[in-house]
Amino acid sequence: MLGCYDFCGHYEWTFEWFRQQGGEPLVRQYWDEAIHQDSQRHAAALIAAKGIEGMKEYWGHTLADEGAGYHCTATDAVYRIDMHECPSKGFLIRNGLHQYHDYCDHCMGWIGPLLKKSGWVVDHEHNHCGQCWWELRRANDPTPPSQPGKHDVRLRADWKGPTPHDTYSRANHPDDKTVS
Amino acid sequence: MSPLPYTDIKPVGAADFYLAINATFRFVLKKLGHDGLRQYWTDLGTRYFAPVTARWKEGGLTAVAEYWRAFFAAEPGAEVEVIQSSNEVLLDVKVCPAIKHLRAHGREIVPCFCEHCHVIGNAMAAPAGLTVRVEGGNGSCRQRFTSC
Repeated sequence: MLGCYDFCGHYEWTFEWFRQQGGEPLVRQYWDEAIHQDSQRHAAALIAAKGIEGMKEYWGHTLADEGAGYHCTATDAVYRIDMHECPSKGFLIRNGLHQYHDYCDHCMGWIGPLLKKSGWVVDHEHNHCGQCWWELRRANDPTPPSQPGKHDVRLRADWKGPTPHDTYSRANHPDDKTVS
Repeated sequence: MSPLPYTDIKPVGAADFYLAINATFRFVLKKLGHDGLRQYWTDLGTRYFAPVTARWKEGGLTAVAEYWRAFFAAEPGAEVEVIQSSNEVLLDVKVCPAIKHLRAHGREIVPCFCEHCHVIGNAMAAPAGLTVRVEGGNGSCRQRFTSC
C-alpha cells in the first residue's frame, strides 16, 4: 500500500517519474490538474467562496496537520505565511530524498493556478532549505510585498542559506520566478 | 532502527494526503492509461521502495512483518492485524485507512485503486524472493506474503 506517512517521499519521486515520461509540461499539468483541481479542490472551494477567511480556514488546519513550524498573519487585504520548518521539504532533507530538481516548485504549481482562478496573486520566496514566505493579495491590489516584520522568516540567521532563492512577484505560475 | 526506510518527526501521516494519492492515480490513468498506471506502481515498488526490498531480502518474513506493523501504525485510521506464521505474513486489513478517508470526504475513488497494493507489493516482494496475493478490497482485504 502507498501510505500517507511518507507521502512527501513518493510525491517528490513522482515528479521525476512524470518528468521522465512527458517532460516538465507533464509535471506542471500534474500539479494543476491532479493537485489543484482534484486533490485540493476543497481548498479551491474555500478560497473562492471566502477569500482570506477561507485561506485561514484551509492553511490553519492543513499546516497544523502536517506538523509545520509556521506563522500566519492576515489583514483584510493580505494573507501571509512565514514557513520556518516546511514539513515536506524537511522530510525530504532528513531522509536524503532528492529525485526531482526543484521540489519547492510544486507549491506554486498548484497554489498559483488555484489563486489565479479566484483573482489572487502571489509574492513568494523560498530558499530550498525548508523556509519560505508567501503574501497573497487580490490581483487588482498593487501593494508591494511587506518589509520584514515580527515572526518573519527573512529575519532568521539561516535564511540566506547555501542554496539559491526562488522569488515570485505577483505570480501564479511555477515558472514565473527569478533565481538569485 | 525503524523498520520504515523513510521516517518523519510526527508519529502518523496526514490523512488528507490520501486525497492526493487517489488524484495521482486518476491523473496517471487519464494521461498514460491503465498500462501506464501499472508501470507507475511497478516503478514505485522497484525504485522508491528498494530499501524495503533490501531489508526483506536480508530479513525474510520477519522483516516483512516488522515493516507492515510499523507501516500501518503510522497510517491514521488503519485497523490492520499483521500475523506472521512459518510460511507467510498475513495482513488482515479490517479497515483500509485510504478508502475510509476517501469515502468520508465524498471523493470518487479510482475504480482500480485497490490494484496498487497488489502491483506495488509484488514489485517490492519479487526481488526478495517473495510474492503477495490479495483477496478482497474496497475497504477491507487480506494480503498474504509468501516465499516464491
